This record gives sequence, C-alpha cells and structure tokens, in this order.
Amino acid sequence: MNSSRSRIAASVAGAAALALIATGCSTGGGGGGGDEKITLSITTFGTMGVDASYEKYMEENPNITIEATNLEGGGAARDDAYAKIAAGTGLSDIVAIEEGWLGTIAEVSDSFVDLSDYGIEDVKDTWLEWKYDQGTTTDGKVLGAGLDIGPQGLCYRGDLFEAAGLPSERTEVAEYFGGEDATWDRFFEVGQEYVDNTGKAFYHSPRFFWNSFVNQQEEGYYKKDGETLNIEDNEVLKAQFAKIVEAENNELGAGLPGWEVGPEAKAGDFAVYMCPSWMLGIVQGYYDEGTTDSGWDFADVLPGGAANWGGAFLGVAESSEHKEEAAKLALWLASPEQQGAAFEVAGPFPSTPEGQKLVADTTNAFFNDAPVGEIFAARSEGVIAQVKGPEDSNIQDNVFGPVFDRVSQGEVTDPDEAWDEAMELLNQLVG
Amino acid sequence: MISSTLGRPARSELTFRQKVSRFDYTFSPFLYVAPFFILFALIGVFPIAYTLNVSLYDWHLLKGQGDFVGLANYASVLSDPFFWNAFGNTVSIFLLSAIPQLVVATGIAALLDQAIRGKTFWRMSILLPYIVAPVAVTVIFLQIFNQYHGPIAGLLELFGLDPIRWAFDVFPSHVAIASMVNWRWTGYNALLLLAAMQAVPRDVYESAALDGANKIRRFWSITIPMIRPTLIFVVITATIGGLQIFTEPKLFDGRTNGGGDRQFQTIVLYLYELAFPRRDFGRASATAWILFLIIVLVGLISYAITRAIRTADVKPTRISAASVGAQQGES
Amino acid sequence: MTATVTTPRSSKPPKSPSAPDRRIVDAERRAKRKRAYERPGVLTYALLIAFFVGSAFPLWWSFVIGSRQSSDTNLVPPAVLPGPNFLSNAAKVFDTVPFLQALLNSIVISGAITISVVFFSTLAGYAFAKLRFRGRTGMLLAVIATMAIPTQLGIIPLFMLMAEWQWIGTLQAVIVPGMVTAFGVFFMRQYLVDVIPDELIEAARMDGASMWGTFRHVALPAARPAMAVLALFTFMAAWTDYLWPMLVLSPRNPSVQTALAALSASGGQNPDNAMVLAGAVLSVIPLLILFFVAGKQLVAGIMQGAVKG
Repeated sequence: MNSSRSRIAASVAGAAALALIATGCSTGGGGGGGDEKITLSITTFGTMGVDASYEKYMEENPNITIEATNLEGGGAARDDAYAKIAAGTGLSDIVAIEEGWLGTIAEVSDSFVDLSDYGIEDVKDTWLEWKYDQGTTTDGKVLGAGLDIGPQGLCYRGDLFEAAGLPSERTEVAEYFGGEDATWDRFFEVGQEYVDNTGKAFYHSPRFFWNSFVNQQEEGYYKKDGETLNIEDNEVLKAQFAKIVEAENNELGAGLPGWEVGPEAKAGDFAVYMCPSWMLGIVQGYYDEGTTDSGWDFADVLPGGAANWGGAFLGVAESSEHKEEAAKLALWLASPEQQGAAFEVAGPFPSTPEGQKLVADTTNAFFNDAPVGEIFAARSEGVIAQVKGPEDSNIQDNVFGPVFDRVSQGEVTDPDEAWDEAMELLNQLVG
Repeated sequence: MISSTLGRPARSELTFRQKVSRFDYTFSPFLYVAPFFILFALIGVFPIAYTLNVSLYDWHLLKGQGDFVGLANYASVLSDPFFWNAFGNTVSIFLLSAIPQLVVATGIAALLDQAIRGKTFWRMSILLPYIVAPVAVTVIFLQIFNQYHGPIAGLLELFGLDPIRWAFDVFPSHVAIASMVNWRWTGYNALLLLAAMQAVPRDVYESAALDGANKIRRFWSITIPMIRPTLIFVVITATIGGLQIFTEPKLFDGRTNGGGDRQFQTIVLYLYELAFPRRDFGRASATAWILFLIIVLVGLISYAITRAIRTADVKPTRISAASVGAQQGES
Repeated sequence: MTATVTTPRSSKPPKSPSAPDRRIVDAERRAKRKRAYERPGVLTYALLIAFFVGSAFPLWWSFVIGSRQSSDTNLVPPAVLPGPNFLSNAAKVFDTVPFLQALLNSIVISGAITISVVFFSTLAGYAFAKLRFRGRTGMLLAVIATMAIPTQLGIIPLFMLMAEWQWIGTLQAVIVPGMVTAFGVFFMRQYLVDVIPDELIEAARMDGASMWGTFRHVALPAARPAMAVLALFTFMAAWTDYLWPMLVLSPRNPSVQTALAALSASGGQNPDNAMVLAGAVLSVIPLLILFFVAGKQLVAGIMQGAVKG
C-alpha cells in the first residue's frame, strides 16, 4: 500500500512539523549551549506550518539556524532518504522516518546515529514502551525518537447504519461489534447483515482490514529477528486471508482499492473505514471544509483488538556535522508538549502518554463531535510493537494488494488459489 | 619560439614551422573529437555497459554488490507480472498517443501546406505546447482531468454523465496520459510533416490537377506517398520515445509509481520503482537492458521497413537515423 | 535533445515525372504555381483556429486559475478571464518551495550544458566535416550509432558514479552527464559539411594558418546559425528534464522541474490548485520568453532538421 504509506507519512510529517509548533515548554532546555553559529537541516514530510516553531526554537537557541525541507508524501521522503543513504552524502542532519520503512533503514543502521549516545535513554519513559522499542534495532541501537502513532478505531456512517437497522450511536456500535472483545468474525457477520439489509457494500477495500489484521499479530510479515519471513506457513494469516476472500465473494467490499473515493463516500457506497488517527483528515478531505452532516462517526472499537498503523520517528544522520545539536533538536521536537500541539492542529496522535493527556478532551466536529482524543488514547492500549522487516511495505504493496484487487474484481474466488497466487508473487518479489 | 631564441638561420626555422604545422595538421583533428569521445565514453557508454555488469549480480541500493547470479535477474524480470503489466501499459499509452497524433499532425500539416495568411504565426502557434516541460504539462493536465473539479468533470456533469475516475481506472488513465503526450507533441510533428510536404515538387500536383484529380485525391495519392518516409520517421521516434515515457505517469499520481494498482505504470517507471523504492539495482539493471534490447529491436525493424520501402519506390528517402530525435515522450 | 535530423539526401532538384524540356516547363510552372498553392478557404482557418485554441487553452487556463482561486477550477463553462490573484499565488509558490533557488539552478544547469554541448559539438562536428584524419569514417559511424542509445537507461551506474564522487545533491551531478551529445556532433557535422567550402580550409592552410586559427576564423563564423539552433534545443531539453535531476538533486536545492513536482504534491488531500497552477506558469515563463524571441528559429530548426541534408 504505497499510497497508504504516503498518507501515513504525510500525516506524520505533520507530526514532525507540528511538534515544533508547541512553543511554550521546551524540555530540551539546558546543556549544549555555546555561541558557535550552527545551521541544522531537517527533512520532514507533510504540510502544516512548521516555520513558527522552528523560529521559536531558533529564538530560544540563538546560535542555531534551522534549514527545513518539507516533502509532501512519505513515498518521496522515503525514496529521497534511500538515495541519500546510498550516495553516502546529502542526508539532512535530522530526517523524519516512517514506521513502514524503518526496517529498511535499520538494515543500514550505520547511516543514523544511536540516539542513546545523545541522552534519549534519560527520557525513555516519556514514550509508550512499544513505540520506543520500535525505534530500537534488534541489536539495541536507538535509531529514531518517536513522534506519532496510528492507533485505529472504526469510522462508520451513522446514517447508513441506522437505515440498515443497525445501532448508530457510537458506544452502541462499539458494543455491537463486540466492544473490547470484538473479533473479525463478528465484523464480517455485521457486514453481512448490513449487505443483506441494504444491498450495498459494507467496506471499500479489503487491503485496509488485512493491514490492520497483520499489524495485530505479535509477528507480522517477519519473525522477531526482522529477517525471517513469516508468511508462507503462517496458518493464522492464511485463515484470515480466506475469510476476506469469502467476504469479497459475498459482496461485502465495494472494490475500491484507491484512496480517491470521495464521490463513493458521499454516495454512501460503503459504510465503514479503518481509521488510524491520521486517517480522520483523509476522510474529512472528501468533503467540503466545515461539513458536519456527512453522517460519519467514529467508534472506540477495532475487530481483533488494538492495532497500530503508521507513525514516524526522527533520526539523526551519521553524516551530520553537528550530531549533538541535531539530536537535541530532534528530542525537543519529539517531546510530549510538541506532540500534543501537533495533534491539535493536524491530527497525528502523540506517542507519549503525557502528550496524549494534553489532547484527551479533543473532539472532532466532522465525526459527529466524537471525543477522538479519548478514543485514540483508549485504542492505543495493548498495541504490539511489531518488528518490521526490510520488505514490509513491499509485501503489502506488491504481494497482497494486487491479489486482493483481483479477488475484489471477482477474477479469483477460491481462497486457496488466491493464497497461492500471493505466495507466487511473494517468491517473485522477495524470495 | 625556441628556434628564434637559438638564433638559427631562417631556413631551418621554416622547416621547424613546417614540422609544427604538419604535427598540427595530423593531430589537431583528434584533439577536436577527443573531448566528445572521452566524455561520451564516461557518461554514455560506460553507464550502459556497466549496467550489464550490475544486472548479473544481486545488487542492493543500500547494501551494494552481492553475489553473482548470472541471468537470474533477467529471468525474474521476464517472469514478473508487473513487468508485463508495465509493458502492456506502455504499449497502450503509446498507441493512444501515436495514432491520434499522427492523424491530427498530418491534417494540420496539410492545412498549413497551403498559401496561408500569417504563415509564421500559425507555425509558431502550433509549436507553443512544445515549450511546456512534461512536468508542467502533467501538473496542468492533472487539474484538467481532475475527477471531481476541473473543466472535463464540469463538462461531464453538464451532460449528466458519471464522473470518470481518471487516475483510478486503467483505460481512462491511459487516455489522460496520452493526451498530455499528444498535446505537447502534435504540433512539433506537424511541423516535421509540413517540411516534408513542402519538399514535394509542386509540378507533381500540377499535372495531377490537370488530370482532374481533386484536392482530396491529390492528398491521398501524392502527398501521403511522398511524405511516407517522414511519416515512418515520426512513428519510429514516437515509438522509441514512447517506450521511455516516465514523467507523465510518475506525476499523474505522485504518491505512487503509476497508480495505486499500477494502472498506468510504464516500463521506465517500473525500472525506477525497482531501483529506488524497492532498492533492487540488479533487477532494475536487467530491466534497463531488456528495454534497451527492445529499443534496438524496434530500431532494426524500422530500419528494415524503411529499406524495404526505399527499394520498393526509388524515391529519395532518408536513412533511419531514427532514434536521433527519438526523445518524444521522454523526460 | 529533441530536434530531429535526418541523414543527407539528394540535394538535386527532384525530377518532375514527365520531365519534358526544362525551359518551357519552368515558365509554365511559374504560372501554375498559384494553382498548386491554393488560397485556403474559411474551413482551413476555422480548423487552424480550433487547433490553436486547443494548443493554447491549457496554458492560458493555468494562468487564469493561477490568477484566481482554487475553487474556480470547477466552473462550468471553464473560467477564461484572469483574476487579480496571480501575484499573491506566485508569492505562495516561493513560500512553499525554494523556487528562486530552483530558477537559478536551472539557469546554471541549462546554461552550462548548452555551452558545453554547443562547443564540443562544433569542435568535433567541424573535424568530422572538414578535416581528414585516420579513422574518421569509423568514428563518425560510432557517433551515429551512439545517437540511438537512450542514455537514460544508464541511470543506475551513473547514479553510482555520482555517489562515488560525492556529487549527489550538487549541480554538477546534473551538468556533467549532459555535457556532450552524439546528436549535437552529428547535427553540427551535417551543417558544416555543406556550408564551408573545402577550398576555404585549404586556402587558410596555404596561408599558414594553424588548425585552431582556421577553426576560429573560418569554421566558427560559418557555424554560428547552426550553433544557435543547437543551443536553443539543448537549452530547452536541459530545462525540461525531470528524471535525472529528480534522482540526483535534493529537495533543498532543486531544479525548476523538481521544484514544480514538489509544489504539485504539496497540500496533500487539499491542494491549493491556484497556487500550483501559478507555479506551473512561472516554470514556463523563461521558455515562453525564449519562444517569443526565437520561436521562428525553433520552427525553422525543426523544419530544416527534417528536410535539409
């Protein structure tokens, strides 16, 4: 899911950027200092107004000049980072890294400094444990300071649920799916009910649900060592895969693999959407600014338990001439205060409990005034720090994505056949 | 200079000068062509040749050279459905651009091949799109072909038609990309064809006119056969350029490499995706060589066709130095 | 490089099919020429105007939207008159991407490539056209053969080379790979072979002029028109290139094209279309100026490239 990664990345960039906006409480005050004039470059991805926060930091640290580059789209940021790592020159002092390609960076971890050499261990406790672990390589090197996370809840169309004779109030909806014990089986059951009652599709693409499911497992596409593939004989994945194929055969999906589904959303062609925090903005983007009557709502539930989708880190390039100062800035940007401010403006959810507290009472008017701050905090409990391998995003994009599309289009209907196709692609691409 | 400081007699100075002159005469030509050959060896020949070497190894963008794998990269590319998908997309986009372009360019050239008022203005006007870079063309056409907003969506709505998902469905996306190519290149090709038409001797038309052939008949039985070499040339350059199309499909959905489902991923885009996002220099290099061989093949076939035509009718034709201008659609 | 050139063809006047007595025919022909070059009717102009509108509309519409606001993209019928916001939209372009830097970079890159290509092409083209030396034919054939090589297929080793030299992110990574083209050499050779009489070179040599002197005082002046055409096309090709600059330049230090691509991606889900189109217009302006100044030469270059030999 290239595009999904990019979205994540984009929102994350927002995190990187917005983290800076929170001006008030700089945690990284002391130390360093010095009067030497230094220019620090930083490459982030996403859109929102970072300039003010850079200026704030520069005000507080008059000897620092920040030279910021903001790339739109995580794909661009990733490819740029790869190219610069390969070239051995040209990385910014600070680079925003997305969860999806962190595994690749970890393979060539000598391109980035070990942040534990620069005091990240002193503030280790500010982060959710799994987030901190995710930024740490298997051999214990801390490559990145966590910015945001992507806990997932369920976006749903209250109006359509109601018309289909399902509960529509968000706590009832969560309960209907099984609340804390929501399972994927129940999800497909509800979906079937919806389809039977309305004759319309329930969700827009199986890609999203598959992604959530994989992220819920203790080991995803890779074993814990981050090197051994964990797909071919994985009966858990295979069983879920078969369930999705069956759901597709039963017309639960609308066959829309892309993101550009605004008209379909407006037309009510599907009723639920997997929503990590950064996804809220995307759904909202399908509608005119200020819309509040779209019917979309947001429930505190995810089939199969908690799952994370996306999130970014800030790394400091080994090639930087000012590692000390760069690390200091990176940690400041990843501090709870900055994370909280980022969420207020852009939606990337803080990876620090303290930051989450700062945003706990945030509500979202587009989603029927849902208490999103509270829901995401709840949804981030129990998330597993899954080890990502070097080809994680490749597998998602190029192995399962296309096969699901073929299934959605009715070109393959037999689960085993579809699975075999996927395995063939897997060996083709990674084997 | 040396000789004068030595104060030698004039006669031997002359001899020396002659020597210098001969030296100059013999070696200067080499000095004049050397910079080109040295630089070209470095930036043209070496990369292509070294691509062959890289293609025989496991070669990772970040981790560098791995094991020698022989032709495994080639086998893997050729058995990769994504490669064939990209190949099919490339051919489809090419056909959608080459055919309308050729027809319209010939028509425009025929219109201009008359005693027209404001000759220079019209010729310049049709060349205007050519100065717009592919990136800008794509940026502009992205708005024109915007699924929700934009002139075309507006028109469709006006006629009560369903919106077309330009960046999502296979065929519409190919149409959109082909229109970008067509917009930029039709005028350019019309000028090429116009030049060929103007080289057709007028007395051929005259005698045909005396024989009672009307305008349309003259066009089909004189103009078209006479400009056939240029037509073939345009087709060949369009083919070779079309095989390398990159910018338009890349930026048509900048977050992906040719669409979320590779609906409009072309061969060069596939190569790029392999090389950078997927970091597989080995397979990307194999793809480069496969594409190179396809292009050579196209060149040879076109050369053969051109030759066949040349021997068939004895008219002066040009050799297919086809690929010279074959940058069409390239970026 | 985008101009087209073809190998020489007979420069003799083509024979008329019925080739009777020339003198008589010539007179008749002149009389009939009017008939062959007919005055076109209204339909011709209507079609030409339609094609012109099609050619100009996307660019004009970009300017129109670029001077208005994003929501005007979906007006039906499309907006055709500019609004008052072009300067403010353009200002946003400069705030969003380092566009000024990009313009400077593109001028430096395209300028350096143009000077280099034109100089080396003239030098080598002159040698191939007018000087005798061992292996000339073979070398010329090599040039012609390499013209067919799509050099962009060598991007992987070229990238490795630039990385090895630590040039990634610098302008020379774009300039150096564009410094010579086989096309340029061939183009100059084709031009010079006809335009300079061999006797002139010989005479200069008899007068004791050095080879370099002959090149400077005989070849260069004669080559000037072709150099101008080659310069135009080389500059345009360098200015509009995207793939290679995208690979080796960094977003901090972009070319016009990579900056425009970044601009187009900015805004994510809610892009500012008016600003993006204003940026597209800005990116075109330098070549638009070139077009108004040298459009005639561009047209002539394309048409001569196709016909002359």
